[in-house]
Amino acid sequence: MAVTRGPTTEVTPMRNAIHRARTSLEQRPLAAAVGGVAVFLLVLWTTPASWQTSTLRFAVPIALAAIGGIFAEKSGVINIGIEGLLIVSAFSAIVVVDWLGDGGATAGLPNLWWGMLIGVLVSVLFALLFAVVCLEFEADQIIAGLAVWLISLGLAPFISRILFDSPNTVNITRFENVTVPVLSEIPLVGYLLFDTEPQVYLMLAGAVAGWYLLSRTTFGRWVVASGENPKALDTAGVDVRKVRYAAVLLSGVFAGLGGAGFGLGTLGTFAGTGDTVINGRGFIAIATYLLANYHPIGALLGSFLFAGLNSMQDVLQAAGYAIPTELIRTIPHMTVIVVLVFVGRTRLPDAAGDHYESGDD
Amino acid sequence: MTRNRRQFLEGASAVGLAGIAGCVGGFGDGGSAEYRVGMVYATGGTGDDSFNDMAKQGLEKALEEFDLSYEKTEPGNEGEFPSAQRTFAESGDYDLINCIGYAQAEALRENAPEYPDQNFIIVDEVVDADNVRSYTFNEPEGSFQVGHLAGLLTDREFAAGAGETNPDASTVGFVGGTRTPLIESFEAGFRAGVEYANDDAEVVSSYVGDFNDTGRGQSTARSMYKNNDADIVFHAAGRTGVGVFQAAQDEGRFAIGVDDDQSLSNADFADVILASMVKRVDTAVYNAIESVVNGTFEGGKTKALGLEQDGVGAVYGDELGAEIPQEIKDALAESKQALIDGEIDVPSEL
Repeated sequence: MAVTRGPTTEVTPMRNAIHRARTSLEQRPLAAAVGGVAVFLLVLWTTPASWQTSTLRFAVPIALAAIGGIFAEKSGVINIGIEGLLIVSAFSAIVVVDWLGDGGATAGLPNLWWGMLIGVLVSVLFALLFAVVCLEFEADQIIAGLAVWLISLGLAPFISRILFDSPNTVNITRFENVTVPVLSEIPLVGYLLFDTEPQVYLMLAGAVAGWYLLSRTTFGRWVVASGENPKALDTAGVDVRKVRYAAVLLSGVFAGLGGAGFGLGTLGTFAGTGDTVINGRGFIAIATYLLANYHPIGALLGSFLFAGLNSMQDVLQAAGYAIPTELIRTIPHMTVIVVLVFVGRTRLPDAAGDHYESGDD
Repeated sequence: MTRNRRQFLEGASAVGLAGIAGCVGGFGDGGSAEYRVGMVYATGGTGDDSFNDMAKQGLEKALEEFDLSYEKTEPGNEGEFPSAQRTFAESGDYDLINCIGYAQAEALRENAPEYPDQNFIIVDEVVDADNVRSYTFNEPEGSFQVGHLAGLLTDREFAAGAGETNPDASTVGFVGGTRTPLIESFEAGFRAGVEYANDDAEVVSSYVGDFNDTGRGQSTARSMYKNNDADIVFHAAGRTGVGVFQAAQDEGRFAIGVDDDQSLSNADFADVILASMVKRVDTAVYNAIESVVNGTFEGGKTKALGLEQDGVGAVYGDELGAEIPQEIKDALAESKQALIDGEIDVPSEL
């Protein structure tokens, strides 16, 4: 029996088994890493290429929104409005590209990138609105987050109706693949990681940047402290309010990159009826970062898992295995429940959801 | 801080009230026209380039010809259908209430007996009540026609517009919205048509589970084009189908549209749309209004619109239609006649 570390009181047998497996992996980091890479390459080798590319593209909104959500929640502001941020950024990005001219360039920058920029900007504006409501007016974060989603859900089709006389926007030309010379020739991973659309590079870079920012910089430590023990951060002379503002705005940036990237790279058109074309991907993002216990790289891998399941289902259905979509759609949320109950590793920041009032007003 | 918060709430509620007032204010003229109809559109609303817009076209044609005014509601989800129908019926001002889409059937079954003097129609579903006229379409027949077309084309080398067939494999695909009996009847007809054309051809099918998710439509169709070597994909998936067209363009293959002539309504994709399986919802709406105006409205009956009545059918793409070989068009015309004559039996279930 391996030596157990950390608190092991009252664990269920199931939890104990997983815990033991994890401990034994942690004790042999090299073996775990080699094993992980081997499994990864085996998956790449045995699965169809179109499934892999599709997984990567569909992971974009989930991964980036999840990383955004991590920053907000780590700082103590639970932002369940990221679904709304995905909606407004995807929608406004497409509108801007159509308005500037499909396929053209303005002031030296291709219109697609203007769309990206404005999409992120709109998302940040919504995040700012959310931050003001939560931090200045002490609104309940969950209700304010829901409001962000519901407003976006109504606003995008409404504006679309004004502009296009339809809840659905026009169709624009999407991002083309960007091929990195030499690197794209690497077997198995080359075509996947180095011959792909810009938003996929953004996702990969965003995950690394998010991880670095959160765990290797002073700002990251402030964010964590602001969520775990804002009083201590305040005592240390750092303005909790400012840190939280920055973190929520950052969640707007990441979600905006995800929404605009997905809209411009994959969708090319915005369908505004019902739950819109975003269709709950922001909520899957929340499930993803909970599953990953607020680790940006973990969130990236989690988004591969959920996006991959969806694409896998398309492949299986076409092969004659009729798996109900409705069931597949519940998997991310079921996984989170299972992980929260049986693995118990995910821990919400102590001060998440609470307003912090500095003493020295 | 507390004062701040109150100010904010007051401000917010003032804005909210103004917004609500704006919504309530916006109803139409209510005018002096002789006949009034109410339209309850399917979720998705007008501007869907598809089902609702077809209904709207029928209404507009009637508006031109008769002394008519109308009011419309565009419910955002299925839960709003009962009250939308009741609002029209309750006023008693309408000579006819048009309920577009099968999803309204349940609500109408409850509402119709409550307002026995109110005339209703429902499109795409049968509601058994004396004051409701039901219009159904023979989707399997129309889908059989496009299936026949796909089955004939997949076997040969054919290139037109931005697409070409893959002569090595005889596979065609079907992408459905949600897995409901109605959408499955499209697939059943399509499969029968493909099989009629070509015994060896394979049909792969997939249901996205949504009529809005163009992204999933795209990935599903791409997987069919790439992994299954499908060269033609037929969709019955509403807006999701735009994703099918995108995938067809990306992969240089073909697609078949649905509901209206999508090579016109989605002209960006005319270079890959071989044909569309049209459902003449406009005909149904127009005929219903006409019957009310002429005093010949017959409630309690179902009008089935098939190939024979031009209620459904294959319409060749605006751009690619001219390039489809004549012998294939002849074969389709033949099978159409055989279907009308009842010589071919089309299943409506999988």
